[in-house]
Amino acid sequence: MNGPPTPPPIDARPAGRLATGLAARLRRALFATPVDALLSVVLLALLIWGAVGLLSWATTRADWAVVRLNSALLLVGRYPLEQQWRLWLLAVLLAAQAGLSWGLLRASPRPDRLGRVPLWPRNDRLAAVLLALLALVLPAALGLALTLQLRWWALTGLLLLIRWLAGRWGPQRQARLRRLVPALWPLLYVLGLWLIGGGLGLRAVTPSDWGGLLLTLLMASFAMALSFPLGVLLALGRRSALPLLRWGSVAYIEFIRGAPLITLLFVGQNILGFLLPAGLNPDRVWRAAWVLTFFAAAYLAEAIRSGLAGVPRGQLEAARSLGLSMPQALIHIVIPQALRIALPALMGQFIALLQDTTLLSLIGLLDLLGTARSVMANPQFLGHSSEMYLTLAVLYWLCCAALGLGSRALEHRLASRPTGGGP
Amino acid sequence: MNLQPSPDRALMIDAQAVEKWYANGFHALRGASLQVGRGEVVVIMGPSGSGKSTFLRTFNALEEFQKGSITVDGIALSNDLRRIDAIRREVGMVFQQFNLFPHLSVMENLTLAPVLVRRRSGAEVESQARALLERVGIAEQAHKYPGQLSGGQQQRVAIARALCMEPRILLFDEPTSALDPEMVREVLEVMQDLAADDITMVVVTHEVRFARQVAHRVVLMDEGLVVEEAPPETFFTNPSHGRTRRFLEQIL
Repeated sequence: MNGPPTPPPIDARPAGRLATGLAARLRRALFATPVDALLSVVLLALLIWGAVGLLSWATTRADWAVVRLNSALLLVGRYPLEQQWRLWLLAVLLAAQAGLSWGLLRASPRPDRLGRVPLWPRNDRLAAVLLALLALVLPAALGLALTLQLRWWALTGLLLLIRWLAGRWGPQRQARLRRLVPALWPLLYVLGLWLIGGGLGLRAVTPSDWGGLLLTLLMASFAMALSFPLGVLLALGRRSALPLLRWGSVAYIEFIRGAPLITLLFVGQNILGFLLPAGLNPDRVWRAAWVLTFFAAAYLAEAIRSGLAGVPRGQLEAARSLGLSMPQALIHIVIPQALRIALPALMGQFIALLQDTTLLSLIGLLDLLGTARSVMANPQFLGHSSEMYLTLAVLYWLCCAALGLGSRALEHRLASRPTGGGP
Repeated sequence: MNLQPSPDRALMIDAQAVEKWYANGFHALRGASLQVGRGEVVVIMGPSGSGKSTFLRTFNALEEFQKGSITVDGIALSNDLRRIDAIRREVGMVFQQFNLFPHLSVMENLTLAPVLVRRRSGAEVESQARALLERVGIAEQAHKYPGQLSGGQQQRVAIARALCMEPRILLFDEPTSALDPEMVREVLEVMQDLAADDITMVVVTHEVRFARQVAHRVVLMDEGLVVEEAPPETFFTNPSHGRTRRFLEQIL
């Protein structure tokens, strides 16, 4: 990411000979040797050619009406208009909680090796600027009504404001209070499901009316949240000393990993419907969500198993010799260290899971891709699939990039605690 | 310092004719026996591969054994899991590789087990932990993580962690073997200080000076058997077995 650090002057030649600043750094990074220079020129030319081509297409020949006229459909599907205030409320809560978590994650009471932690590290400034730009440009580009544009600005402003407040004042709060914040996520999730689905006093909105990005994110987050504990149990089962438990876990993991997700989704849609009694038969959206969960659990289990294998045996022995029971030793000593080792692999699986939700469109669900396909099938928008697919690519990329950035921040945060119990 | 164990002392560890085979068929213990009285400090020495660490680890059931019997603090070791947990609460262990929990601070390393296992209040355990860290000379490191400490400091934290459970028996498995030479002393001093207390200690070590000065009895193990047991002055100057003499010639 970074250019190489400026080396100290080796000899005492006149300062004019020592190139400094951006130009010098670029020269060192790109044109150090003739081969480097040639490669750089070729790659730069290709890059510029591609970018110019894409930009000129996007600004002159492309017709973005297909996206502009369907933006609400792409975001939330056929969610009833008069109930959409519930989604806005949820968005406000999510923005606030995200800002809070972001700020507290950064406001580490343990400063890194360089000393103190700046309130806005470089990556955070970048993320904040990107968010602000996105909120300003995207709604305007989509031609949304000014009131709707204002709402997006307010959401982003809220997120950044709380990020700032949490980063500024968070470190002074009690540790117990700070530990409460991650626990708010599951609560918020349940609250969100209620807001989206209704019931208990709210008008019910059935899952078949959820769609677009809303359905995609809901399915992905549902599968992530539930496949994670399941994956931990499967990984422990696979390393268990009890043969039945071990064989069962191995059989499950290998069966799931040997079958393509799409076949499992079809099995979930069709066969489960025949097998289960009518009363127990969940809605087809939920059936797909459970299949995604069970599918992801097998892959997560393998990632977590590699983490478990990375925890030295002595850790378990030390915990047991202190009198901890096996479950206590696993929960307090082994699993936290295993998850820390497996974190990059886990995040890779989560990102893959988010992309796997596109298969839902093949079984007829109107997730982001499914909605887009139904829009493109409309004769009014024939021949404009490039615009649509490019938009989808950017949207999926944004979601995955957010996951990736969050994971990197978490890794960084955990790495600031020095590792190694041994010599 | 060297007290003879009085014959009427309550037995804390009574191991009789213990035999162990590893899964690969290796016969690690071939009938080893040892009795340790309350408050006694016993040092086990022996060449590598003699089974001394394995023997020590059977006392808190980190290793299983197939034949013989072991009674610890009046509880017979069997495969009964509740009994094993009861024994482990009373038997602390210090490892060669320290085995501190790297994701927990020094203070959390000490307080975790007393709070979880003995269900004591956090504040009470914390003040006890502070006193113990003071005793092993690292009170100012309580908030740090194990990876930030030197090897000697880590091993002293490990000793304090074991003590925080208020065990009646402490097992040491080569506690100084993984340390740089200049850190051996600080750990041995802490152990010597402990030996003056009433706590029962069984120490597997190669530190001859520690054995001479602190042990009540020194035991030589070879090929899975206890070959010689004697007070340190007899053990180091006038051993009765030729095997002990050969071992001493190699290490002295």
